[in-house]
Amino acid sequence: MSFIRFEGVNKTFGNGNHVLKGIDLELEKGNLVTLLGPSGCGKSTLLRCLAGLETVTQGRVYLDGADITDLPPQRRDIGMVFQQYSLFPNMTVGQNVAFGLRMEKAPKAEIEGRVRRILELVHLEEKIDQYPAQLSGGQQQRVALARAIVTEPKVLLLDEPLSAIDAMLRRELQVEIRRLQQRLNITTIFVTHDQDEAMVMSDVIYLMNGGLIVQHGSPIDMYTRPESKFAATFMGHYNIIPAEAFSRACGEGVDCADLAVRPEVFQMLAGPLGREGSYSLRGRVVARMPHGNIVRYTVDCDAMEIDVDVVLDGAGLFELRQEVFLSVDKGALIHL
Amino acid sequence: MKNHKAGGNIVLVLIMVYLLVPLLLTFTFSVFGNWTSMLPKNFTLRAYEDMLATPRFFPDLLRTIIISVVPVAITVLIMLLALYTVLIFFPRLEKFLQLLCMIPYAIQGVILSVSIVSLYTRVPGFLSNRIFLLVGAYCIVILPYIFQGIRNAMRSVNMPMLIEAAEMLGASKLEAFFKVIVPNIVPGISVSALLSISMLFGDWVVIRNIAGNAYENVSILLYMTMNIVSVRTATAMFTVVFLVTLLISILVFNLQSKTEGGTSREER
Amino acid sequence: MKRNGNPRWKYAITLLPFLILVLMFEVVPLLTILVNAFKPVDGHGFTLGNFAYLFSKRTYQQALLNSVVIALVSSAIGLLVAFFGAMAAASATSRMKKIFMAILDMTSNFSGVPLALAYIIMLGNVGVFVLFAKQVGFAPLASFNLYSTAGLIAAYIYFQIPLATMLLIPAFAGVRKEWKESAALMKARPWQFWAYVGIPILGPSIIGTFSVLIANSLAAYATAYALMINNYPLLAIKISGMFVGEITQQKELGSALSVILMLLMSAAILVNNRLLGRPGKES
Repeated sequence: MSFIRFEGVNKTFGNGNHVLKGIDLELEKGNLVTLLGPSGCGKSTLLRCLAGLETVTQGRVYLDGADITDLPPQRRDIGMVFQQYSLFPNMTVGQNVAFGLRMEKAPKAEIEGRVRRILELVHLEEKIDQYPAQLSGGQQQRVALARAIVTEPKVLLLDEPLSAIDAMLRRELQVEIRRLQQRLNITTIFVTHDQDEAMVMSDVIYLMNGGLIVQHGSPIDMYTRPESKFAATFMGHYNIIPAEAFSRACGEGVDCADLAVRPEVFQMLAGPLGREGSYSLRGRVVARMPHGNIVRYTVDCDAMEIDVDVVLDGAGLFELRQEVFLSVDKGALIHL
Repeated sequence: MKNHKAGGNIVLVLIMVYLLVPLLLTFTFSVFGNWTSMLPKNFTLRAYEDMLATPRFFPDLLRTIIISVVPVAITVLIMLLALYTVLIFFPRLEKFLQLLCMIPYAIQGVILSVSIVSLYTRVPGFLSNRIFLLVGAYCIVILPYIFQGIRNAMRSVNMPMLIEAAEMLGASKLEAFFKVIVPNIVPGISVSALLSISMLFGDWVVIRNIAGNAYENVSILLYMTMNIVSVRTATAMFTVVFLVTLLISILVFNLQSKTEGGTSREER
Repeated sequence: MKRNGNPRWKYAITLLPFLILVLMFEVVPLLTILVNAFKPVDGHGFTLGNFAYLFSKRTYQQALLNSVVIALVSSAIGLLVAFFGAMAAASATSRMKKIFMAILDMTSNFSGVPLALAYIIMLGNVGVFVLFAKQVGFAPLASFNLYSTAGLIAAYIYFQIPLATMLLIPAFAGVRKEWKESAALMKARPWQFWAYVGIPILGPSIIGTFSVLIANSLAAYATAYALMINNYPLLAIKISGMFVGEITQQKELGSALSVILMLLMSAAILVNNRLLGRPGKES
């Protein structure tokens, strides 16, 4: 029996915008699931429908066996962290975190203890009497996280919580959120438009586009086995090559519309290399860009522009306008 | 969250009704001859005829418009020059300028008019000319609003940056002012200018204290009509005066929407 | 942007018109009031006698009391209504909000003689509502006296509401949707959100608006005069009467009374300045 279930959920806004076009989704307890997609795909709206902050135009929402579609947010037992303006500015960190417990009318003595413990978990116990304005963005979000989980809700929702945080800190927080989630074993739904973030954190990724779920799976599956051109271009830096052009270049027929190939599966050499079970292409380097530990070359092969990633391992770089030979395993090509 | 909105709408409607009832009632009063029972009786435009027959009505209306517009134009000009010079050349004087422009709040209405009159009435020459004093007083009355309006407009176009760009392209500071800054802040100033005009249009205290019999505006005429002539005729004048201020308000509103709303918005 | 040395001083000439205007019609009159307030009625020197006289006379004590009471009550009620109005406007549809703001704009300058006229027609001795109440037998309204403190307050409230609402609406925009949603998810009902989060955050704006209303009410003259003429002791009316009119001029006393009024207004405006950083109406 799934923990969270969306059945035929449709959402149309007052201005006629049909944002969710029939979502059927079942989520298991204890997982960290990511809703991933470009702006406007409906991922935040779906999250807010679960939270009760938006009403569903059509369809039902179930949580832990109960139909919560018509319940107000107060009665859903769900915690949520927003992208910004999470904390109440007129209350200290401690008062913010204690708020939900106060609304539940928990006994005072108990509140204090629980607030302290949760702040220790996010390593901010010494800030308990400070105001949000005195904390950095990252610290504020950690407090918001603590506040959302201290009441032990059934589900934790995170709506792009790290989008306003700078890049270095973001990676730290991703790991911290993931660890916390696993330690408390709390069912969590994370919304983001950043595929790297989704890959780092999730048990399952749901890719959305235009109000529909287009593919789902584990991070590795989503990355290595895209089922559509959209998935291929969104999940990673895939090369999308028209099959016709490829056939002409390597002399073999291919029976689909496009081929998706990851930049890192090519072998790039100065001289030709024929191998069993692989295709060979010849081309010229037209661009070279360093990307940290890899170098990304753009190779022009007969009207196809192919990006190839080569690990920077001291073996020397290829030059612009150098003639190169590409070799790729037949199995590494994804037929779309 | 849905019934929250319905309750909110009720509150808004109630407030709007409360604000509109006096206006509508007074207008209704002006087109009926008799309203001593529950419903008004005897629809007639007699009041408007009487109003039009009042020889002073249109001249007063014209006088009011003139005396509302001229001080605003003068103050805008003076303020533009002063603010530009201060913000560019003497930035440390800005606070002082602001203080001078905020004092009128503390002396608004009675105190301003009364102090000017008692100071200048026995001085020989043009200084005791009532109309001259009135224009000066009106300029001070609207000073805070014009100051705010121009300063906010200059801020929002990021004046220092614009001037630098203009100078790089070869303009002098004066040219930059007239050709670049002024055209860009006109929409922003228009809102405060129109607000000031409508404020002066409805003034009664200042003009009565300073100009008294020398210059009559619609408010003075209205007061005399309702006390001496006829309440009903006064309500006809009321309607006309209100329509004029309404016109100005509509202009302000349209301009406000064009400049993305007249009130400030803060983005964090 | 700053130039060192003399060249920039030639630009100071543009400040001249402003300085002349402000000097002639603001600074010198103000100073004259201040000087006259402390000058004995005939002669020179410094004295507090004017103030002593004013505080000893019943009619001036009453004027001070009336002005303050009317200011406090009309501002409090105006603020209360404006609070709910601004809160409703913050969560209204954009069409409703536009209409609401248009009506606020329209009625915000409606005060003074026209307002007095409208209220006389509605609530005067033979006002429409009063006659209606007499026919229906609704005693409180039937015996309502417009020409009293209560009547003045009723009229003042009318022009306080649009001003207060227009000042509060942008303040409510600063109450973030995310806070409301977080509170709801943490099981707070709307009134709990406002009590624990909303109102504390709005605090400065509310107090600032209140002080603007107080200043507005203290300075109001036309509405009161049009209703009461000289028959009701009010600071603004007394002051005016001491300078203009058929009675002999009482420059020094009038100035002293003006100083009292100015002190009250300055206090109100200073409070507003501290809290909002920007006094008065937004233009």
